[in-house]
Amino acid sequence: MIVNAELFVNDLPGQLIGSLEPISLVDGNILGVVHNRDKIIDHRICVNLTFEVDERHLEELKDLWERKDIIISNLGSVHETFTMDYILIGDVNAQYIEGLLKKINEATTLDEVNVRYSSKSIKTASHTSLISVKARYEDNLDKIDAILRRECKRANVTYVRGV
Amino acid sequence: MKAFICGFGTIGQGIAQVIAEKEDYFQERYGQPLLIVGAMDSKSYCFDKKGMDAAELLENKKTTGRVGDRTYTKPEDALDSVDFDILIEVTPTDVEDGGVGMDNIMYALNHKKDVVTVNKGPLALKYREIMDLAEENGCLIRFEGTVGGAMPIINLCKSDLAGQKIKSIRGIFNGTCNYILSKMDNGQPFEQALKEAQQQGYAESDPTSDVEGYDSACKVVILANSIFGRNATFDDVDITGITSINADAVALAKTNGMVIRLIGEVSATKLEVAPRLIPKGHPLSLPGTLNTAEIITEYAGPITVSGKGAGRLETASAIMSDLVAIMDKRIGE
Repeated sequence: MIVNAELFVNDLPGQLIGSLEPISLVDGNILGVVHNRDKIIDHRICVNLTFEVDERHLEELKDLWERKDIIISNLGSVHETFTMDYILIGDVNAQYIEGLLKKINEATTLDEVNVRYSSKSIKTASHTSLISVKARYEDNLDKIDAILRRECKRANVTYVRGV
Repeated sequence: MKAFICGFGTIGQGIAQVIAEKEDYFQERYGQPLLIVGAMDSKSYCFDKKGMDAAELLENKKTTGRVGDRTYTKPEDALDSVDFDILIEVTPTDVEDGGVGMDNIMYALNHKKDVVTVNKGPLALKYREIMDLAEENGCLIRFEGTVGGAMPIINLCKSDLAGQKIKSIRGIFNGTCNYILSKMDNGQPFEQALKEAQQQGYAESDPTSDVEGYDSACKVVILANSIFGRNATFDDVDITGITSINADAVALAKTNGMVIRLIGEVSATKLEVAPRLIPKGHPLSLPGTLNTAEIITEYAGPITVSGKGAGRLETASAIMSDLVAIMDKRIGE
């Protein structure tokens, strides 16, 4: 998992390194460090960190920081999402799209789905539509792709996917 | 060395011109010229074992519509007329059965001649058979110009990127489709954009091979076989052309910061030609007639190449590099 952390370390030499060492000790991978000297509270300096770590080691990491007298003011996870866009061209209406999304939802988990229709054809029964999806895992996109490929072929609808 | 040019249309004339212009280059590099000892088009042929003047061949073709005065019933009759070392095979692509290009290449390899070709048909249909025959007879065969015209890709992957795995290649391999889709980006309907492409000379009077994705599919097969060591044929490619792309779809893509491009994709497991949504600014979003390829490599990461996909001298440049590669091996630098 990717984690954002806001820490407060003592304003003393070596404390920044001290906040990073525990991440290495739990085999984490540091992605970004901002040493925020403008944000000093009670002789402590704010350090913003972004790192990748196995979720199972997060508690151990928190312990290591606390033992080093590092205050954790904020800790939140960021999960990577994979996005893909699809345009469907043909005899496509809102009901058809709804049916497709239902099939996709039955097969996989989506974080977010957005459907837009072309403005030109909105007054008619069929639309050209753009489906944008966000998925937690790349594999999910493959599943969506397979469903759309199969269903669109069956309905004689052209689907154009992203890269 | 002696070359026989099969096909004297735009490309054949272009390579004849370039060989003549580079006379000094060949003389300096190899201590001998590259002579054009034979040339044939669909109706006629000519030969001279001492070499022919390219300017005369071009003039003859321009004034009479024929490259030579002799006619033939079978191409091998023309090829039998004179001894040569390299066949330059630039007849039109035929993806049904390889056409005359297949016969010419097979003839040359069976007679232990090296081959340079830009004809996609034979390689898209019988790549492995052709390569095996070449190896069996100790022949060299090069075909850089079959994919991307002037854009270097096959030799780039096989030579400059040698030793590392090529994970995938995605690219715009058909300038005609890219021209049409670029025009549609600006609001032109498909039919009008196609007509304009024909008037500009980018599209054939029968544009089926381009707009249905068959031309790109041939290139995908050639890349799959030559770069990825696959044994694919034209029928293995999942092909969707651009004829169903309408103004609505292009506008919807545009509103959302994307364009539609016909993309060929090849990897160890994938062979596909299909219209794809490309974010604006992405290397594959290029407008116009250019060909572009994004090569994903094991160590070097992504490498993007781009160049003119067709044209008389542009394609001749790819043939020239193949001729030099063969002459380097046969004569040495």
